[in-house]
Amino acid sequence: MAGESLLPPLPNYGYKNMAKKKPVIEFRNLTFSYQLQEIPALKNINLTIYEGEYVAILGLNGAGKTTLQLCINGVIPNMIFGDFEGDVLVNGLNTQEYPTREMAKIVGMVFDNPEFQLTQTSVAEEVALGLENLGIPTVEMHPIIEDALETVGLDGLQERSPFALSGGQQQRLAIASALAMKPQIFVMDEPTSNIDPIGKEEVIAVAAKLNKEKHMTVILAEHEVEVIAQFADHVIVIHEGEIILDGTPHEVFAQVEKLEKIGLRVPQVTEFAYRLEKEYGVKVKEYPIKIDEAEQFAADTFKK
Amino acid sequence: MRGAVIPITMVPGDSPLHKIAPLPKLAWSFGVLIIAFMTRNPAILGTIILAGLLLTTIAQIWKPMLRVMIVLFPVFVISIFLQSIAPAFPKPWNPIVGFGPFTIYQEGIYSGITMFGRAFGMTLFAMVTIMTTHPSDLFASLEKIGMPYVLNFILTVTLQLIPILQREFGTVLSAQKSRGMKGTGFGAVLPSMVPVFVGAIERVQQLSISLESRAFGSTGNKTSYRNVVMRPSDYIILVSGLLATFATGYWILVDKSLDWSRSMTFSPTLSISLVVSAGLIFTSFVTIAIFKIIKT
Repeated sequence: MAGESLLPPLPNYGYKNMAKKKPVIEFRNLTFSYQLQEIPALKNINLTIYEGEYVAILGLNGAGKTTLQLCINGVIPNMIFGDFEGDVLVNGLNTQEYPTREMAKIVGMVFDNPEFQLTQTSVAEEVALGLENLGIPTVEMHPIIEDALETVGLDGLQERSPFALSGGQQQRLAIASALAMKPQIFVMDEPTSNIDPIGKEEVIAVAAKLNKEKHMTVILAEHEVEVIAQFADHVIVIHEGEIILDGTPHEVFAQVEKLEKIGLRVPQVTEFAYRLEKEYGVKVKEYPIKIDEAEQFAADTFKK
Repeated sequence: MRGAVIPITMVPGDSPLHKIAPLPKLAWSFGVLIIAFMTRNPAILGTIILAGLLLTTIAQIWKPMLRVMIVLFPVFVISIFLQSIAPAFPKPWNPIVGFGPFTIYQEGIYSGITMFGRAFGMTLFAMVTIMTTHPSDLFASLEKIGMPYVLNFILTVTLQLIPILQREFGTVLSAQKSRGMKGTGFGAVLPSMVPVFVGAIERVQQLSISLESRAFGSTGNKTSYRNVVMRPSDYIILVSGLLATFATGYWILVDKSLDWSRSMTFSPTLSISLVVSAGLIFTSFVTIAIFKIIKT
């Protein structure tokens, strides 16, 4: 693993515990450059993602987050061409051998711009599109569609035009459309970048729900570190096409200096503890990353 | 540019016409199309128009129909003006009146009226069909009678893209304005085309990736969410449409007395007033259109 050796293993928290679980996605020595580009977008990626994980991919714009995600359902190298070396195995299937439309049965994908993903004249038909392509009988479609719309909180809007929805609703519709196909793996590429704050929370909450309740493997590219800290159990940091950190949120966000050097932020509570340690010599056993952890940390520290 | 689009889409409603399945309506529309091109008889064409207007009333879609016809009617009317001077009709032509180099012919008026009748009648029926049918039902029905799925899909997506591109066009125009470029008139439209179309290509690329991610085009059977049910009444309407088309077509072919082109005569006063009013309707329409384009 690329970043593994850098990090001290933590008891009771390491994603290594996940190792008991089945690996669902494996990147093996993957290097990819887009057509007519000399600098590779991904360099020597080695990564394993286990079943049921909530994986967050963190990185600056252009770091390679989207490229990495597009490799999972085979858009790269089957639809977007370039120099592709190495292998990506999803559920044991090599993405180079299976086109995206077949991988779609395993991998659901939601992109950053909801409008670019909607094509139908009504919300229900939008969700039905994937089911039609999978050949689900019409009678079975209705409960699936209702269930998917309920999961994302869009029930009752079946007959509305997708283009008459708000940004957050559109993105949740895109999620429902992918969700209805019951994929094992759910990939979301900055799903909140084009929507308002309330819409953001809605989308993030839905993603967490899919992971916790429907036990899907969720892979989310996201800028909001607070969100990542709250939900993810595996964080990958990409910089200039390379994985530089790979571990649990606690492991990754403990590397405050390293993250700040490449221009990434850590959760505010983590930074607070980091500064206390740096400037006042306060001993920090483990950096808090969530509010309740920070509360505990503050209580412990100031009691002394 | 916004709001300039003709509302050629379904008008929600609860009329008997809304309840008929798409195929019978399509059958009648195509029947009318065939008959309208088979005959030049003003009485048959007039009946078609009257029937079309009656259906518009039954479907309660007068308002949207008027909005469509405001644009199309002047285009239909111009055929009376053009045909009267240069009839698309075998010679000899019988002149009625002459103005310098222009002569109005009997056959021209006849030909103009029939062409107007054809276009108007066909459009009425087509519009009633479109305005009373959900597009998805229409496509689902077309697919049932053998239209390829992909072709269908292209139609659906195109319909969806039009308003989006229109909005993008507005955004680009505003951006041009805010940077001090010309934001109004025809001169502003051309430079805006490039960003809009580049954006459209990018959008289509994204769309194709997102569609494949939803198993579009994957192997195996494809099912359809919209299941259009044909009730017995729909079958009756469908069959009667086919029969009516066949019977009228046969009548037109057999009964030569339906050709009134030589027997019908127009008085000079009637001819002149027809041609002048057709010309006026058309020129006023063009003037308003140009004025609107300049203004936006």
